[in-house]
Amino acid sequence: MPGLPASVDLDECIARLYRKELLADSVIEAICAKTKELLMKESNVVHIQSPVTVVGDIHGQFFDMIEIFKIGGYCPDTNYLFLGDYVDRGLFSIETISLLVCLKLRYPQRVHLIRGNHESRGVTQSYGFYTECSRKYGNPAVWHHFTDMFDYLSLSCVIDDKIFCVHGGLSPSIHSIDQIKIIDRFREIPHEGPMADLVWSDPDSERDEFSLSPRGAGYTFGAQVVKKFLEVNSMTHILRAHQLCNEGYMVMFDDRLSTVWSAPNYCYRCGNLASVLEVGPGGERKWNVFDAAPENEAHRLEQQNQQQHAGNDPVRDYFL
Amino acid sequence: MAGTTGISTHTSPNGAWRITTRKLPILKADPIEALSNDIGIPIPEMIFGDNFVSVTHIPSQWTLEFNVRDALDRVSKTEQGMLQVAVAEEWKKERAHQEEVKQVVKPFDWSYSTDYCGTTHAEKGGEWRDAVGEKEVVRTDLLARQDPIQFFDAVDLYEDELADNGIALLNIKVRMMPERLLLLSRFFLRLDGVVIRIRDTRVYVEHAEKKVVRQYTAKEEEYDVVQEKLRGMRENAPEAFRDANKLAPMLRTIEDRTEVFEVS
Repeated sequence: MPGLPASVDLDECIARLYRKELLADSVIEAICAKTKELLMKESNVVHIQSPVTVVGDIHGQFFDMIEIFKIGGYCPDTNYLFLGDYVDRGLFSIETISLLVCLKLRYPQRVHLIRGNHESRGVTQSYGFYTECSRKYGNPAVWHHFTDMFDYLSLSCVIDDKIFCVHGGLSPSIHSIDQIKIIDRFREIPHEGPMADLVWSDPDSERDEFSLSPRGAGYTFGAQVVKKFLEVNSMTHILRAHQLCNEGYMVMFDDRLSTVWSAPNYCYRCGNLASVLEVGPGGERKWNVFDAAPENEAHRLEQQNQQQHAGNDPVRDYFL
Repeated sequence: MAGTTGISTHTSPNGAWRITTRKLPILKADPIEALSNDIGIPIPEMIFGDNFVSVTHIPSQWTLEFNVRDALDRVSKTEQGMLQVAVAEEWKKERAHQEEVKQVVKPFDWSYSTDYCGTTHAEKGGEWRDAVGEKEVVRTDLLARQDPIQFFDAVDLYEDELADNGIALLNIKVRMMPERLLLLSRFFLRLDGVVIRIRDTRVYVEHAEKKVVRQYTAKEEEYDVVQEKLRGMRENAPEAFRDANKLAPMLRTIEDRTEVFEVS
């Protein structure tokens, strides 16, 4: 496998990204190309071993991601599994995904990234990542590099053969893990079908089976679906992200499924807690709950001051 | 949640009118379930259930309040007016024979479109009547003046990304100047590939008068039509599609009514 260009020093990139500095677009291009090669070799179901710390949605909240490393340990001292939705919504999607990708390249066996529904061309055009790339780099080339690389992200992970990890949830087309392995995943997330379901669907505690959303697209899955899936695949737990929870996590279906949410004070205004799940060497699960990083507030005040200087003081919002 | 946490309040210089807002975190799991049982539909993804904005006439204790529960209670709980996402047809074709899918969730307006105009508390009686004449309007000429803003707040009531098919958002802005106040409650819906919808309720008070003017304006346009207009204007479409202020002038007005409440 050809290495990165000699001009790209991964450790230096990582150090810069920890300081929230952007990388040059040529560096992003090289890093995304290299990441594609690495991801291409991963199965749709990556098998890993505990101990590992599992992280849910981050959504460009860079300071809060750094908070995760502060409380959960830095790479490579702590193994990490990220469940997707790295970009959109927050102010620093580029810095967030750049750092995660560099960490993946630097420590490929200790950092695992799977795909969320926001790792897609369609969704990132509506929810901020495209706009952020265009604004910070002056053109959308970097967005193309990243979204092309997203097509290679794996879809799921299994910890110690016992815990099934995915971004959204289960699919009526998938009964056994082997059915995930045969999906052709190297593409944009389709509108429907098993690949879409894995990154989109939600659990529903009020129902037993799969239900179709009143929107006309999208499934929810119930207690019996989860029980059967775990039995068929000899597993004990499903771990997924995708849904905001005020307490930072939620456990359902007699401890057979949990949701991990890792963006505290989501969108800088929800006031919610966040968490990461630490899966210990024996498979035991421990929630590490955390609040928004203090840097967010400092950054907000700084922005506010700049806006006031520019005459955009919210107190002078003469809306009609 | 009770008490005064998250509450801001401001009274007009003549002591007659008061604005109150409350901003707290999104609801926890148990209150979400209680609210869902109460109004009978699933709750939006981001639910600021403790937030509210109210305008009070202090002498009569008359209050117009905008709260989350009552706003969601105005969302259709039947198939009436129910929208479908752009890919729904594709889904129907592909999944028509999916045996595992035995249930369909009870229909409701999952776009959370509400025509909520606030909840009126009038202990001394009286009611809203249609505005008459040119004087009973929201005076944008006076409101556009750069008078000092003595109190400003923006409060979210709920928001949902519609499983990334767009956005539904209900929020309220309020500002008080020395002589008047304005409240704008805005429901904004963008259903990608389908429709753009804005439903505004404006509440306007001249502090010296014992009268509240309320205007409800509903606007709507097909998504493709708006996209075409944005192209013509050479606007950055992804950015413009998230900015209700930019989209509002491109939509057709489908309802516009003004009412007045005279307080004692």
